[in-house]
Amino acid sequence: MTGHLTTAQLLACREPGLEPGVVAARAHLDACTECQAELQRLDQVKARLKALPTLRPARDNWALVQQRVRAERRARWRTRIVAGSMAFAAGVALMLMVRTQLRQDAGQATAIHEAMQRSSQLEQVIQQYNPDTRMVDGQSQLVAGQLEDRIAVVDRELERAQLLAAREREDALLRLWRQRVGLLDALVDVHLTRAQAVGF
Amino acid sequence: MAESLVLADADVVLARARAGDMVALERLYRAYEAPVYNLARRICRTVEDAEDVLQETFFEICRSIHQYRGEGSLWGWVRSIAASKALMRLRRNKYRDTDELDDEYHGPVLGKHEHGGLRMDLEAALERLPEVSRAVVWLHDVEGYTHEEIAGMMGKTVSFSKSQLARAHTRLRGWLGGEGALA
Ligand SMILES: [Zn+2]
Repeated sequence: MTGHLTTAQLLACREPGLEPGVVAARAHLDACTECQAELQRLDQVKARLKALPTLRPARDNWALVQQRVRAERRARWRTRIVAGSMAFAAGVALMLMVRTQLRQDAGQATAIHEAMQRSSQLEQVIQQYNPDTRMVDGQSQLVAGQLEDRIAVVDRELERAQLLAAREREDALLRLWRQRVGLLDALVDVHLTRAQAVGF
Repeated sequence: MAESLVLADADVVLARARAGDMVALERLYRAYEAPVYNLARRICRTVEDAEDVLQETFFEICRSIHQYRGEGSLWGWVRSIAASKALMRLRRNKYRDTDELDDEYHGPVLGKHEHGGLRMDLEAALERLPEVSRAVVWLHDVEGYTHEEIAGMMGKTVSFSKSQLARAHTRLRGWLGGEGALA
């Protein structure tokens, strides 16, 4: 190699790598004080870049982020009500299947069916409370948001439960549908309390 | 910098944030607002762009925090979202491509011996770099990303990332003069 190392070659010496070009550059570097000084200078620029002060935003951006998150949650919730009705329909179809397959578990099957019906009724009640117009206070919105998120988790588990073996599936379905009813009940309470407070 | 940033009760905050708790999400925002904005501001050209990136980053964090499973540091996860949003912003604004402006300019180019009292300070020099070069030098030298990672984030090759870094340093060398050497 003739002449000193280029910036690219000097930087390559700092990277892992055993390509012939890099090996040759390292050999030159070991023997050349000028290139060593240049590499040291590069290291120092890097150190100075790292030491630059942290720039901070001039205004608070959280309110805007929060607004977008809430708007998206409300949109998601509306879709979920539709999906919930579909899950209900699918659940009914599954029920019929479960019933024919496992007559001895008629009691449990009935219990699942009841939970599903209750779940559907509660969802219809909630639909009357349009979160866009009724949920104006932050605390209620927060609680409602949390409940909605937990219902979404139960819905995901319900989907997974469909894949379980018959016996296990029934236990899981009953547990999950009851859990869903409990969450929906709480959600109705939140909406109801809020609606009364603002005079609806 | 932000590596050392810790939330006192990180586990609790994270668990609540995953459940969609706005108070916990705000705690995350407060903890990482400055480093995210700093990264965005160093990469983007304007304050407005940097604020947009800050908002987009946290909006994304709020909706996908349940996907963060604790592999790697929380800051590492937050930062990768911020970096990708900032780079997306660069692409969207169709900032000048460094390949075209290699030697065309940005301000009066000072010859090797013409610095004298005009030696530029590092902030100004960084600001003056072409956008892509600046993004690469920041992500590599300050944030500690590898060329492979930067190439992945930018949708470019590893050698593109390496050559952008070298160009950035060559320019900084010219603008800052020899001061770096023994400063
Ligand atoms: Zn040399």
